[in-house]
Amino acid sequence: MARKQIRVSRRMLFTWFMLAGFILLFAPQKLTSKFQLAFAHLFRFPLSIGRNISLSARVQQPLRDVVSRREYNKIQNYLANVEQELNQKHLKLKKLSGYDRLYSLEGAKLVMADVSTDAIDALHAELIINRGHIDGLAVGQFVLGDNSIIGTISELSSRTARVKLFTDPTSKIAVKIEKLNIDRIMQGSGNYSAKIPLVSKEHDIKAGDRVYARKEPGLLDAPMIIAKVAKCKQDDENPSVWDITVEPACNIEILNDVAVIIMNPASPNGWMNPQK
Amino acid sequence: MRWFRFAVFISIVTVLQASLVDIVAVTTANIKPDLLLILLVFFAIYCNTSEAIVTSFTIGFAADIIGPAMGPHTISFGLFGTALAYLHRLIAIKKIPHQSLAIFIVGFFAGVLAHFLSLLRGQPTATNIYAVVFGSSLYSSLVGPFLFLLSAWWMRIKRRKT
Repeated sequence: MARKQIRVSRRMLFTWFMLAGFILLFAPQKLTSKFQLAFAHLFRFPLSIGRNISLSARVQQPLRDVVSRREYNKIQNYLANVEQELNQKHLKLKKLSGYDRLYSLEGAKLVMADVSTDAIDALHAELIINRGHIDGLAVGQFVLGDNSIIGTISELSSRTARVKLFTDPTSKIAVKIEKLNIDRIMQGSGNYSAKIPLVSKEHDIKAGDRVYARKEPGLLDAPMIIAKVAKCKQDDENPSVWDITVEPACNIEILNDVAVIIMNPASPNGWMNPQK
Repeated sequence: MRWFRFAVFISIVTVLQASLVDIVAVTTANIKPDLLLILLVFFAIYCNTSEAIVTSFTIGFAADIIGPAMGPHTISFGLFGTALAYLHRLIAIKKIPHQSLAIFIVGFFAGVLAHFLSLLRGQPTATNIYAVVFGSSLYSSLVGPFLFLLSAWWMRIKRRKT
């Protein structure tokens, strides 16, 4: 009798679990991602410890009397942003339009956040951070890592947020390449790279050229460095354009903390030094 | 079945999979062993069929929690874990090479199914997805039987040799 009941419940178990699986599969991402964000929030400490151990095992010790690559990239990114701000300033002065903001992050609030965990592979590239809408975060806000843009906020809970890196295959960000005054959409291609399509071969582009995220009203007041050209070769399908592969301007893999840019925050004393 | 031990064990392994396993990742494609897949095969082999169904779907859910989207692994792990549990009633999977083979086959097919389910959901895909799934399954099959020892000790399950 008891065995019979178990047999019935076995089928029912399977059926109900499959049904639950399909409900999860087809339910809106906004709802189902709450499970993932709740897990990341609940286990933020062990996840963070595990990630730190993983990072310390991977990162090599820097040489003596030599600035570490991370520090070097950080300073280079800061320099690139300052140069870009200077260009903006010149433009603004030229126009004499009376803008009151001269710096890209002037008036912005930077919310510092720890990286709880990351998931970076060929299929997706994202970070989970320990700040949420309680801290003033909103979907679409840009995220800085070592003074360069690394992605945008894609999902939120009260105390946790998911950052979609610009290398994620679903990420599309408007950018411009150094010295070229043309807008292009940069598309992520997984792992640690992205592509900038449809750039004519007439333009002189070489490896190492900086790529800037275009300003977006309410989210970014001036262009900021986002990537560097890693490879530039003739497109196989269309020989008249470049096949441009870019890589992040900082080493995303070893980031422990990031800063979320909140433009025009409610509190006026939100400005923080981007070097911090 | 000690369900409390199971819940704690799955939580710990899920956290490890999401954070610490990156240490042993190989190649530029970041191929790493799938600890949850190994546990899926372990519980499908060492539990009775009803328990195997519950554990398979639960482990699939845990895999989705740390994955890009909810659903694909719950379904694929549940389906293949249940199939393996039923298969185990017909063919004993006790020897280490057989366990490795089971991990590899279940890992590969569950990975492919999860990929297709992700496509249904509109998730992005990579050009080398099959290579990544193959590599991950192979890596898991190599380390899996050793993790079985730890799992059996934690779950107080006696591993009998035939």
